[in-house]
Amino acid sequence: MAQQANHPLPGGHQLEEYTIERQLSLGGFSIVYLASDPSGKQVAIKEYLPNSLALRSKGDIKPVITVDHLGAFRYGMKCFFEEGRALAHLSHPNVIRVLNFFRANDTVYMVMEYEHGRTLQEFIQKHQGHISERFIRGVFTRMLNGLREVHSNKLLHLDLKPSNIYLRNDNTPVLIDFGAARQTLLTDQPILKPMYTPGFASPEHYGTRKDLGPWSDIYSVGASMYACLAGNAPQAADARLKKDTLMPAMARWDGQFSDRLLEIIDWCLNLNHLYRPQSVFALQKALVETITPPHPKSNPNWFGRIVDRFRNPVK
Amino acid sequence: MRFTIYQESRQGGRHNNEDRTTYCYSRDALLVVVADGMGGHHYGEIAAQIAVQTLADTFQREARPLLTDPFRFLQKGMSNAHHAILDYASRHRLLDTPRTTCVACVVQDSIAYWAHAGDSRLYLMRNGKVQAQTRDHSRIRLLLEEGLINEAQAAEHPDRNKIYSCLGSPTPPEIEFSRKTPLDHGDILLLCTDGLWGVTSGDLMAVALKGANLVQAVPMLLHQAEIKGGPHGDNASVVAVRWEDAYVEDASSAISTQTMTQDEVTTKLDEFGRNPAYKSDLTDDEIEKAIAEIRSAIDKYNPAR
Repeated sequence: MAQQANHPLPGGHQLEEYTIERQLSLGGFSIVYLASDPSGKQVAIKEYLPNSLALRSKGDIKPVITVDHLGAFRYGMKCFFEEGRALAHLSHPNVIRVLNFFRANDTVYMVMEYEHGRTLQEFIQKHQGHISERFIRGVFTRMLNGLREVHSNKLLHLDLKPSNIYLRNDNTPVLIDFGAARQTLLTDQPILKPMYTPGFASPEHYGTRKDLGPWSDIYSVGASMYACLAGNAPQAADARLKKDTLMPAMARWDGQFSDRLLEIIDWCLNLNHLYRPQSVFALQKALVETITPPHPKSNPNWFGRIVDRFRNPVK
Repeated sequence: MRFTIYQESRQGGRHNNEDRTTYCYSRDALLVVVADGMGGHHYGEIAAQIAVQTLADTFQREARPLLTDPFRFLQKGMSNAHHAILDYASRHRLLDTPRTTCVACVVQDSIAYWAHAGDSRLYLMRNGKVQAQTRDHSRIRLLLEEGLINEAQAAEHPDRNKIYSCLGSPTPPEIEFSRKTPLDHGDILLLCTDGLWGVTSGDLMAVALKGANLVQAVPMLLHQAEIKGGPHGDNASVVAVRWEDAYVEDASSAISTQTMTQDEVTTKLDEFGRNPAYKSDLTDDEIEKAIAEIRSAIDKYNPAR
């Protein structure tokens, strides 16, 4: 099916009590607008509008949803509700806050807080390859606080990537876009494939998805940290499963960053989910440990060194 | 009490069907309702659903097996529905209340009693002619009556869909009641929304339904309405009843209520969103429920609003 781009609601459009200012982003499943509430406060409004199922042409307000697609459209709406539900139950400074949820124009809308800042993706692109270890540790440790909160609510984010990590102006991270945060996505709706982003999705994202767990989000955290160093996404997990050409962080940036950080990245990016940190807490603990100068290379391969480190913990 | 009844609703060219129909009967009384949720207003279908549901529920409670006062029942039922819609709007903090037209008819002891608000119509047809019909609560009907415009102009008039009375509007509805109308054997009561009468005249329908099997003739009328309505045609819904005197022997598809017990009430009402037009497993009230749930979670976990 041809993918048509949906036209956003026009600036100045009055959507319930909110006034649309402009479009912030356009995705395959939704459009995000910058809007202002009656008190003039800026908010982000996410509109459920899957490209393949609903079409809004220029000048229209209500999208056209053909009868054939109504079932799939409603099914996708369920997923949108999952996102809303997921976020509404979370109240954490490192997780985006939902302010309102309503139905209009034959579809549904989620109102979220809006703050000035940029995504980690934009930050990476701007500082291509020149991101300090201190910055990475700082951002990720705090971001993981948010992720811990997500996991403790028995939810998985499932679409963690630098463009879903928003940095406020003071560089505190906020997890945004929980569009994939759902427990199960059945495959009986081929038109709404589970979504993931190549490079950041774990191997468990592909295939039957029955092994998805906190470790899957942790893979994505590892991939995001890798992207901070590399400036672009690591090799996609499905390609890695066939022929792994991803250079371990430990080998690629040896000496430029602390061994501990590089180890952690490689640890998270392990293809076997059982060999990754099993919980966000374990990962966080590793991240906040005091940075120690590199040891003499007693063990020739990087994995052996990690094992050594576990055998002889630094006192 | 003996009658044949048929109800159907077509979505037409619209994205959703905001029409609702229902009928229910006890041993000695019959209730028929048609409501047209108003497009342009949000949640029109919810208003329509509340209207038919409220009337059906009241009927089930009160028709044991006769209604003590049909007009009072209609008056109470429709104004309760009106307030139920307003309550829904305030509970869900809607800026604009959902609205619906409503036409309802009770038949008991072979006498018909009806009431309406808005421009959904009831026709009483006898021998292929329209015997009586409701007068729309629309500006256009007033203009017609004053002779300011003729029928042809009315059909094209930009204000032809504007109505001055409906359930759910902040101003209380103007409910108009019929007289007590005795029914003859073979009389047809047809309740329909503007999706049908807007494209087919009452006289034409009366001819089409005369002596015909309702189960075949009514879908044909709707089919024609859909074609005339075109790709953007309105929802068209209808409930048609052919009244049959108890002591006349015929029609096998007729419903006879003689065998029903005193307290039994049968209701034919599509569940909310379980209309054949919906192919999804997510119904409208599930959507409403999900939204309500999310909102309450927001209030609970993020109270600083």
